[in-house]
Parts: sequence; structure tokens; C-alpha cells
Amino acid sequence: MIETYYDLMRRQGISRRSFLKFCSLTAASLGLGDAGAQQIAQAMQTKPRTPVIWLHGLECTCCTESFIRSAHPLAKDVVLSMISLDYDDTLMAAAGHQAEQALEDTIKKYKGNYILAVEGNPPLADDGIYCIPGGKPFVDKLRHVAKDAKAIVSWGSCASWGCVQAAKPNPTRATPVHKVITDKPIIKVPGCPPIAEVMTGVVTYILTFDRLPDLDAQGRPKMFYSQRIHDKCYRRPHFDAGQFVEHFDDAGARQGYCLYKVGCKGPTTYNACSTVRWNEGTSFPIQSGHGCIGCSEDDFWDKGSFYDHLTTIKVPGLGGAEGTADKIGLTAAVGVGAAIAAHAAVSAIKQARSKTRNDKVSEVEK
Amino acid sequence: MSDAVALRDDPSSRLTEAFRAVAARMRGLGFVNPALEVEAVGFAPWEDCWLGVMLTPWFMNLALLPRDPARWQPLAVGEKRSYCFPAGVYEFIGAVDAIVGDYQMCSLFSPVLEFDDQATARRVAELAREALLDAQNAEPHDYPEANLAPAAPAAPGPLAGMQARVEAPMSKRDFLRGRVLGPGRESPG
Repeated sequence: MIETYYDLMRRQGISRRSFLKFCSLTAASLGLGDAGAQQIAQAMQTKPRTPVIWLHGLECTCCTESFIRSAHPLAKDVVLSMISLDYDDTLMAAAGHQAEQALEDTIKKYKGNYILAVEGNPPLADDGIYCIPGGKPFVDKLRHVAKDAKAIVSWGSCASWGCVQAAKPNPTRATPVHKVITDKPIIKVPGCPPIAEVMTGVVTYILTFDRLPDLDAQGRPKMFYSQRIHDKCYRRPHFDAGQFVEHFDDAGARQGYCLYKVGCKGPTTYNACSTVRWNEGTSFPIQSGHGCIGCSEDDFWDKGSFYDHLTTIKVPGLGGAEGTADKIGLTAAVGVGAAIAAHAAVSAIKQARSKTRNDKVSEVEK
Repeated sequence: MSDAVALRDDPSSRLTEAFRAVAARMRGLGFVNPALEVEAVGFAPWEDCWLGVMLTPWFMNLALLPRDPARWQPLAVGEKRSYCFPAGVYEFIGAVDAIVGDYQMCSLFSPVLEFDDQATARRVAELAREALLDAQNAEPHDYPEANLAPAAPAAPGPLAGMQARVEAPMSKRDFLRGRVLGPGRESPG
């Protein structure tokens, strides 16, 4: 008799009704609609449970903090009961030798079948001595657990890019996961921390569908990271109309004008904050009057002050992060130019489409 | 025709006038493309609205404006609404301007530094409007049907149908409409 997620949840005292509600909620946040909810429900009732091992390297635990505060109280119960049983230094009940034994048991029992989630990153300087969990360098533990993992989730900007501990001069040589583990599929879920709904959405997708969601060229799930904060910002009409906050607390700030001139990194940041938002969809930094600091982008600590306005914006390329960064002109060769223009137009239309159905999420939550 | 509320005219000239005034304020900012100028591209009726593409040196956006004022639902500045087009669901953000009045836009490009000249940008804008109305650009939902191994289906009991309906998630609105009774049995209104 195989153990499914559904069996596990029922054992945790989650009602069938609550389970179905969770499926609808998750499907909606993934932009999958009603048919997607049925797919998730079906998969969770029939597929064997995939264990998750969650490791912590150099990090601040903000990813875990975000994750356990998923909007729907049910989402965290369900997902936590799905993932916490096997190994998570922060969330599991076991400690010390007992905990490390649990880790070894899980690796052996589910060899080649478990998902490794990594929060934080390994420091490589001086043989990895700057991060020693369980008496061994974290980098060794990471390599050991990654060896038999099916896939790896890099939680947050630390695991994905390096984040603050890798900021110049990076004395411990903190290194993102994909530069240490090169022979496994890796999905990056950047942000400092990532949005809770994005984390539960990604985990649920992988566990129920048994594959990684579509990733962009940088390894991020397209459903949450293919649009910029700027594209979907509720202050965008003020940008379009040239209405800017010039200084914090000026008349423009009180009117809710665009924060570009006081350093907002929304035009260069790919994340879902302006659609999914934070704390059960309550708000996000721009809505509280502060520019986006671009925390989900590579190297964000080394890109100058949070309050300097962007002097150069790298052209994201046709169709956003996925497109080519080529200039488009009709002047050179008319035939080629026309084909490029058509490609640019169709890419832009596909890019601008709604990715997650947030309206739906709020309906389910009521 | 005579007693109907007058339909609004093509908003292109009002939009152009309004954004030309903005362009003066934007000059010198890093994301402005000096090779481009303000132009309202391809405004034509779509449903009860005017749909076109607004092109400026700092953005290229899909734009919706009222055509039949009686059927236009305005949004507050920054409020969002999703519209279904043949190419998919698009979220528009509300805006208001003294010259233009109410309008709603959905970003396609911003900045617009990749365009070498006005003719190219205009052509892309025209093609984007066409692409929006072309169902060939729609994408089916991305969930991997084939990956799901079919489960051994539980033998449906006599109450399976009702059970499923009772257990299916239902919004409060649908419940109050009586949809729990099954299709075709909703109470009127």
C-alpha cells in the first residue's frame, strides 16, 4: 500500500473539504483554473508521496519564516505536513544525532526519489569552515544529500544568487547552489524572502505533478517570475503620466506617485509582488510607500544604493527575460525587419498575459 | 440611433495631446528613447470600448477607452481589471487624465529602448493589437495531463454524484444561486 499525500493529510486531521479547498486555492495561484484543481486533487490522492529534505546553509531563515506564513492557513498545514516529516533542521521535532540519523534514513530509503530544498548557500573559503552544521562543513552535507536527490529547489536569493553573504568582498566565498551542484535539475525561487504563495505553489506543483514547472533561461519558474514589478504595479499609471515622487514625504509621495526617482527597482525586477503581494495579499513594499529594492535579482546588494534611481535600465529584450536583447529596426532589410517586428509583437502579447489568477485566489479565500 | 447615448469619438487625438504634454516633463530621464515620439496607434472599436496601442518614448501599452459611455465601467487610478481577449486574459490598470478622461492600460514594453525608429515601433504596435485578437496566440493552461498516471478509480457508489457536488468547492455566490442543486436548477435571479 503506497502512502499518498491525501492519506498523510487525512492522518493529520485535515478534512476532505479542506483538502479540496486547498487544491482549488493552489490551482488558482498557479493559474491552472478549475481543471487544474481536479488534476491536483487527483494526483495527491493517487501518487506516492515524494519526500522533501530541507537543508539550511548560510541564511537568516527568512525563507522558512515566509513559507510558514502562507496566506491560506490550510496551505501551510497541508504543505508542512507534506514536507516537514523527513528532514528540516528548523521545523522538525528531532534534534542532534537523532536528526542526522533521520536524514541518512531518508536518503537511503528514497534514494533518487526525494526533492532537496536548500535555504541559504555554502561558503567555500577555508574548506567551508564558516558554516558547520552537525560538525561538518555545510558544503559537504549539501553535496552528500544532493548526490541522490531527484531535483533541487534553491530557496531565496541566497541559494539562487548568493545574496548578502556573497556581497563584495564576500569573505567566506559564499556560493550559490547551482555553482556547487552542477549535475542535477535546479529550480531557483529567488527573493529575500520569496513570496509565501510562490513557495507553496512551486512545492505543490513539483510534488503533485512530479516534474519541475517551466523555467526561464535563468532557472526561475515562469509562472511567477516572467513579469516585472513595473509591468503590473498599481502605481504604473503615474509612471506613464510622468508623475513621480521627487523626495520622500513630498506632495507626490502623499498622492501615491511613481517611486522611480527615489530608487524603485521595479523596472528591472522579475517577481510577482505587484500581483500576488504579501501577507495574504495585503500589500507590498511599493504600496507602503517605498521603492522595490530588487531583492529577487542577482547581485542586488552590489548594485548601488536602494535610493539611487536607475540610470541605465538594461533592455529586458523582446518578450521580457526570455527574449533576445537585439535592437529592432525596419531600416536595414525590409523583409527581415518585418519578421522581427512580428516576432516582437507576438512575444510582447504572450508576455503581457496574466500569469496567475489572483482574483480567483481572493474568491476562494473569502 | 437618435435617442441612444452618443458614442464617444476616437480618442487618438486626445491621447496624443495629453502624452505630448507629459513628454516635455520626461525629457532627459534614462529610460526615455529619444528616437520615438508620442503616437496613438490603431485605435478602433472593440466591444463597447476603443482598443488601441499607446506609444510614447517611455512605454508601449495596450489601451482601452470608453466608446459607449453607458457600458463603460471606470476604474480608480491603480485599480485593476482583467479582460478576456482571444489571446488570453489581460489585466488592465485604471488611470485618469484631465484631457483624456478615464482610460485603462496594460503594459507591453517599458522602457522602449529596443526600438530604433518610430516606424518600427508603430509597426510592432499595430501587430501587437492584431496578435491580441488572434486566438492562435492563446496558450492552453500548463499542466501536464499526460504525467498523471490514471488511478484505479473507486467504484462509484449510488450517492457518488451528490457526494461529489457536496464536496466540490463552491463560492458563496453559487451557493446562494442554488447551484448546489445541480445544473439547470438554479433559482432565478
